[in-house]
Amino acid sequence: MIQVSNLKKAYNGVTVLNIPALNILRGESFGLVGNNGAGKTTFFRLILDLIEANDGEVQIDGQKVARNESWKPFTGSFLDEGFLIDFLTPGEYFKFVGKLYNKSEGDIALFLESMEEFFNGEINGSKKLIREFSKGNQKKIGIAAALLGDPQILILDEPFTALDPSSQIRLKRLLNDLQTRQGITMLISSHDLNHVTEVCKRIVVLEKGDVVKDIATGEDTLKELESYFAV
Amino acid sequence: MILLELVKQEWLKGIRSSGFYKNVAVSIFLGVFSLYIGGLLFFMGFSLNKILEEVPGGTPMELFNGAMLYLLLTGLLLRFMMQQLGTVNLNAYQVLPVNRSVLINFLLLKPLVSLVNYVLLLVVIPFAVRSVAAYYTGGVALRFVVAFELMVWCNSLLASFLKRRFGSGLLSFVLVLVAFGAIFLLEYLHVFSLFAISRALFGFVVMNPIGLLIPAGAVVLAFLLNKWFFAQNFYPEKFNSKLQNSRTATANLSFLDRFGVIGELISVQIKLMLRHKRTRTLLFLSAFFLLYGLMFYTNNHYGDGMVFFCSMFMTGILMFIYGQWSISWDSAHFDGILTKNIPTRTYVLSNYYLMLAFNVICFILTTPYFLFGSKIIYMHLTAFLFNTGCNIIFLLFFATFNNKRVDLSRSSAMNYQGTTYKSFLIVLPIMFFPILWVNVLAWLTSLTVALWSLAAMGLIGLIFRKSLLNLCVKQFNSRKYIIAQGFREVE
Repeated sequence: MIQVSNLKKAYNGVTVLNIPALNILRGESFGLVGNNGAGKTTFFRLILDLIEANDGEVQIDGQKVARNESWKPFTGSFLDEGFLIDFLTPGEYFKFVGKLYNKSEGDIALFLESMEEFFNGEINGSKKLIREFSKGNQKKIGIAAALLGDPQILILDEPFTALDPSSQIRLKRLLNDLQTRQGITMLISSHDLNHVTEVCKRIVVLEKGDVVKDIATGEDTLKELESYFAV
Repeated sequence: MILLELVKQEWLKGIRSSGFYKNVAVSIFLGVFSLYIGGLLFFMGFSLNKILEEVPGGTPMELFNGAMLYLLLTGLLLRFMMQQLGTVNLNAYQVLPVNRSVLINFLLLKPLVSLVNYVLLLVVIPFAVRSVAAYYTGGVALRFVVAFELMVWCNSLLASFLKRRFGSGLLSFVLVLVAFGAIFLLEYLHVFSLFAISRALFGFVVMNPIGLLIPAGAVVLAFLLNKWFFAQNFYPEKFNSKLQNSRTATANLSFLDRFGVIGELISVQIKLMLRHKRTRTLLFLSAFFLLYGLMFYTNNHYGDGMVFFCSMFMTGILMFIYGQWSISWDSAHFDGILTKNIPTRTYVLSNYYLMLAFNVICFILTTPYFLFGSKIIYMHLTAFLFNTGCNIIFLLFFATFNNKRVDLSRSSAMNYQGTTYKSFLIVLPIMFFPILWVNVLAWLTSLTVALWSLAAMGLIGLIFRKSLLNLCVKQFNSRKYIIAQGFREVE
């Protein structure tokens, strides 16, 4: 579904990402781990056409993403607060996003109801503006908005950080559900090796822009990763 | 002494902020501009004597004294609108053993250091030298200047008290405006003369050796009022209270629903403008700019070029204010705009239609000026066509060069954050081209030809709207990575 070929990104002559070839299949759950500065966010931004590659390209469904809009209708993403419109209330924001994906008010209400457990009753119907919510709740709003358009591809950058323990568990359940029931292609980066191995069937380790490991998740994966990152 | 340390840290905060060194061009421009304004004020101080001498009813100083309370009221009104409430970085100091009253004093007195409070001395000192010292004695002139400055301080303190106490919502603003208008009307109808009171009061202040006690007392009173307010509102969070009223100004925008995604985008933009202080202040200001015509149309000294500029400015004020930053307003959520299912063309179109609506609104609001004669009617119609046909496209195209993040969260009037030399480059041609065009053509042929040619340009712009908009979309696409990169850099 997503093909990466010869992708290179450099800032001021320093290469921050260099992926010769990478294929992500439809329905695959793809976990991206690596220390700070490894290039995780840069990779996601390249896939989402937020920055320009110095060389190579990313293709979704055989079409390159750069300066193209055909991937947008079926791709949901949340990388950081820059994806939220923080002066709206959650209700207004969801309505706005829903409209972008041709959802009716009924569809949106139904969707938000299904999210009620994940929101822990703190978001739906609130009159607060998004900027007044805690970081954790902002993250939940962003993730929900990414899911609102029934995406075939979901891209989340560190979705577990800033969430409380119960919400982390709920999010894991939600993501696993989406995989098994709807077969969404999922790209998730995380610093938490536990979570990412539980959610993703394939783990890629980035280091200083290079892919150093590409493993199918098995029983020993967590140990392998832990020993890799051990100092 | 802790107060001095606070002052020092505030100073460091200023010069170490990352924006301080970056914007050399903007600083230079603003510097030149303020020198120009300063020069004008200084010149005004010197020539005021001559103007007032021709007015019957007293010496220039007496007339000035009479106007003093009006000046102070106007100042108060302006401050109420634009003065920022002083804040200190509380969390950092709260945990340290810093005395509360020291913090409060610092907070209250800091605005008095601001240059704004001393600018008018440029007028007052030359005036005192020429019109007060010449008629009376040097001592009187000195008292005149000191009294004036004390009243400015009093104003500054009073404004922060009123603002903290009543907030700066639309309602309190309207109330103040109404009170102001009532006083003015009573004066006009000779029912009650603030002028006479002011003249007697400041006459006493200036002529009597102990007169200065009155303004000094006023300053102390205003200071104590502020202190009292903080004593009432004990908890330090109040220092930084962000005046949160009217934030959910959820105007019912559901009528926009039927315009699909473009309608949704426009409704988000309108909420953006209503829910941020910086944009709200801009909206207030543009309401004032709509009165520009009263100044230009009533005076025959201005050439046709200037008058047309005024028409264009008024019929397009919202478009100018919004359009210059039409992309930058979205800096905080630009990544969201780019990744959500919003075709670039739709995004550009939403900005286009919003500005079109702005132009229609401004055109309708300025129709009362039609009473000034048929020339004004032609001018406004031409201006509307030119703004809608050419200037919108121009703004849409060149807004893509603003790639600096505009931070709406911390701000109020006179906020230049996010301004670069490019912002000026965009506006200058828009400002000067029509003046030049009208003046040159009116001189070579006639005003009618000048206006018709501008209207024709506007019409051509409207006819070729589609291809011009495609050009803007192309431009947006080729600049979007640079814009997005710039918007991600938080200052």
